[in-house]
Amino acid sequence: MTQTLNPSLQYEFSCPLTSGLHARPASHLAEVANRFLSDCSVTNLRNGLVANAKSVLGLIAADIRYQDRCVLFVSGSDEHLAQSALKQFLEKNLPRCDVPLAEFPAADLDGAVPRTLQAAHAAYISGIPVSRGIAQGKVVLVRRITLPNDLGSGEPLNMQKELARIHEAVAAVRQRIGEQLKYAITPVSTAVLQADLAMANDVLLLEKLTEQIGSGKSAAQAIVDAGEFFIDLLGHSENDYIRQRAADIEEICLQLLEEVGATGAVPTLELSAPSVLVAETLGPQQLLRIDRQWLKAIVLEHSATTSHAAILARSLGIPTLAGVRNARLALVPGREIVVDADRGFVIPQVSAVVTRFYEREQKTLSRRNELRSHVESKAAVTLDGEQIEVAANVSSGEESTLGFANGADGIGLFRTEMIFLGREDAPSEDEQCAIYSEVARNAKGRPVIIRTFDIGGDKKVPYLNLPREENPFLGYRGVRIYGEHRELLQPQLRAILRASEVGNVQIMAPMVATAAEMIFFKAAVDRAKHDLGERGTRYRPDIKTGMMVEVPAAAFFLDELCAEADFFSIGTNDLAQYFFAADRSNPRVAPHFNVRHPAFLRLLDHLVKEIHKHRKWVGMCGEMAADVQNLPLLLGLGLDEISVPAVEVHECRRMVGRLNSKRCVEVLERALACGNSEEVDELLAATAARSAPQPLLSDELIVLESTSQSKEEVIQEMVDAFYISGRTDDRHSLEKALWARETMGSTDVGYGFAIPHCKSDAVTANSISVLRLNEAINWDSGRGDRVSMVVLLALRESDPGSTHMQVFSSLARKLMNDEFRQHLLKTQTPHDVKEYLGSQLGIAVAMVDPVSS
Amino acid sequence: MKIVAVTACPTGIAHTYMAAARLEKVAKNFGHEIKVETQGAMGIENKLTETDIRQAQIAIFAVDIEVEGRERFHGVKVIQVALQDALKNPENIFFNIQR
Repeated sequence: MTQTLNPSLQYEFSCPLTSGLHARPASHLAEVANRFLSDCSVTNLRNGLVANAKSVLGLIAADIRYQDRCVLFVSGSDEHLAQSALKQFLEKNLPRCDVPLAEFPAADLDGAVPRTLQAAHAAYISGIPVSRGIAQGKVVLVRRITLPNDLGSGEPLNMQKELARIHEAVAAVRQRIGEQLKYAITPVSTAVLQADLAMANDVLLLEKLTEQIGSGKSAAQAIVDAGEFFIDLLGHSENDYIRQRAADIEEICLQLLEEVGATGAVPTLELSAPSVLVAETLGPQQLLRIDRQWLKAIVLEHSATTSHAAILARSLGIPTLAGVRNARLALVPGREIVVDADRGFVIPQVSAVVTRFYEREQKTLSRRNELRSHVESKAAVTLDGEQIEVAANVSSGEESTLGFANGADGIGLFRTEMIFLGREDAPSEDEQCAIYSEVARNAKGRPVIIRTFDIGGDKKVPYLNLPREENPFLGYRGVRIYGEHRELLQPQLRAILRASEVGNVQIMAPMVATAAEMIFFKAAVDRAKHDLGERGTRYRPDIKTGMMVEVPAAAFFLDELCAEADFFSIGTNDLAQYFFAADRSNPRVAPHFNVRHPAFLRLLDHLVKEIHKHRKWVGMCGEMAADVQNLPLLLGLGLDEISVPAVEVHECRRMVGRLNSKRCVEVLERALACGNSEEVDELLAATAARSAPQPLLSDELIVLESTSQSKEEVIQEMVDAFYISGRTDDRHSLEKALWARETMGSTDVGYGFAIPHCKSDAVTANSISVLRLNEAINWDSGRGDRVSMVVLLALRESDPGSTHMQVFSSLARKLMNDEFRQHLLKTQTPHDVKEYLGSQLGIAVAMVDPVSS
Repeated sequence: MKIVAVTACPTGIAHTYMAAARLEKVAKNFGHEIKVETQGAMGIENKLTETDIRQAQIAIFAVDIEVEGRERFHGVKVIQVALQDALKNPENIFFNIQR
């Protein structure tokens, strides 16, 4: 393709996409290029390949990788328009239009076949998990689809007619994909289908098809030959990803063949029972056309992990394994198999042991999910039933999503500075409204506290023209600058008010010290309400307006402030810095900044008590709230809410559930009377030690009437109990540690008791688990008595804690005592076992099981 | 007879103490006086003093790992057995001692 090159219409760029210019971004680029009449081409300077920018196939074939330098050429009647549009796309949109290719971490369980299955000598074939999950079904072999090569019909052909058939076929295929797009349920499916659609619309494909017809071929033959041309072109690439696209082209051509009546091209798969598809590879169309009700899992021989079918399977949640060598030979059609895409293997023959294992696995997984969601959907409640809101501090919509996913009760602080910084001009009201509304909607009714911008002389905000100050920290910032910058304040207030229409939004002012400032702020809010009213724009009229408590002066003006503010949030970072007159980022004085100093605690105590006297709400959004060590103090203070970074929300809620609020009040009282921060620290450490975050014993770790039939099953059952109750997230490591100990020497101690044990950080807390078998089992193949009672001890490696060690040693000694053993063998319920052990060993057992209350 | 003993197991969590309890019980049944030092994950407990060792006629090591501070037992008659033996079959040990 030669063209007269107008140098000004060349544009050189470097590919910004880490995965290279693959089908999806290429289809966007082609879409833009196709809007214009001019010829557009992209030359990859690295390998010299030239691609027609209007063809997705062509662009892909040019193998444009990350950071390859390329040149865009445009030539034609609307070349200037085209060039500027494409330049705009390449600069602004291309970097952002990459939906990341799904990452498939290699099976990280080091081929971990569970001990139970190993012991039963269950055969297995390993594979690469491409989409996680476990499923069972009958094997259905899928033939490899290839383009037929015996289409000759011998009849003389009418070129026009054949061309018309081609066009009809293409239109039909486009339409079908378009329909599928409407029902695509995930962003990934959508992206995949869009890429396929782009390929079906590809100008190069059509060109090739037309060319083939022109040389006298039938429609069917033209499709086959054009298909082979592109498969060849893509199939020879060094780039794995591009080679996999050849399979996509093959699929499109097969559909085209179907349309022109060369029947039998794409066999539709009829399934009538839970099935596992086994194939060399699978095309996305094949996948989409299968009745998903019966499709339980997929096993692929090819190791391609980024094929569209693999990506689709993942987005549809169908357990899929790739790279399963000789799957079609090893797996018998019609036979029941298990696909374990969590651990990375197929079990080609399902036996009773296998069925048992996976039934248990299923129960364990669903029980664990049940308990997890149970905990997360409830408000954070202490052991003795006191509630505290745990909210998230965020600066963006994404963080808010993360926060809510972690169970946040609301957004305690939405910092808006990010929206104002790093730009040449102020964000518009509309722009801000979109951002605030997104967060408000995500909240689904939960409160969202939006803090108006807190900017001072130390921040780079060119359009504010703030004077440089000697001491910006003690300078012109926060609410102080609002009077002179109404042009920034008012649009923000209006944006927040507009967002209040779609969610429970509240406004908060920073750096307020006096009632006058609060009155001014509220007047500004009224002004904004008035302006919106004039426009006829709606907002929530009773929107709450509150203030950050950061300036110490506010602490002694609370009567007046409570008359003006609806709520308060304590910003401990700045409050403590001003309070101790120390910059915490200055190493020489940082030690003076200590939120656990009794003086600061007295300040906080005063704040909360006074604000509550006026029946107002007070939360805390500073870093003090994020440190779980401080939790007893914060609960003791009686705060209505603590707001922590989005990632900490889950942990914070969990810790709240382990504390007793009355004890916390006592702890705070004693802390207030301490002489320095060290004493407070000691007090907190002592409290933590005494009220173990998680008790050694719990009902969930006591299993009576176990039907396990082997040591492997017993250990699996007990590890699963840990997993379900959240005492481990890594069953594999825990099991490994226990088995390591088993190989060192027998844990059978006679009298029908066994004591497997280990030290491992896979447990989140030191634990004792008890399991009683209905029928005794062999513990050590042949040697020793049969075992019917198992007491498992698990200690954390990094912080075993000496008190717990003592408990373990005393338990060990008690096991040598007849009466003790008899009692354990006879006790009826897990609760009673727990109580008995607890009293015998002198340990506290949970008064209230936090999960079940 | 006055007997001293040391129990020690690799993980040091349970067997060490169980064996100690067994030895104590059985020794009593045989009419002996016994003091058992445990070497476990919490370190050395019930440590045998010079006096304890000097006064003893025999020392029992029921251990699966090296005894810490073995020098203390220089010159004392030592019977070493596997920890399992002390747990499962302590009577045997004392029968052997009688002989």
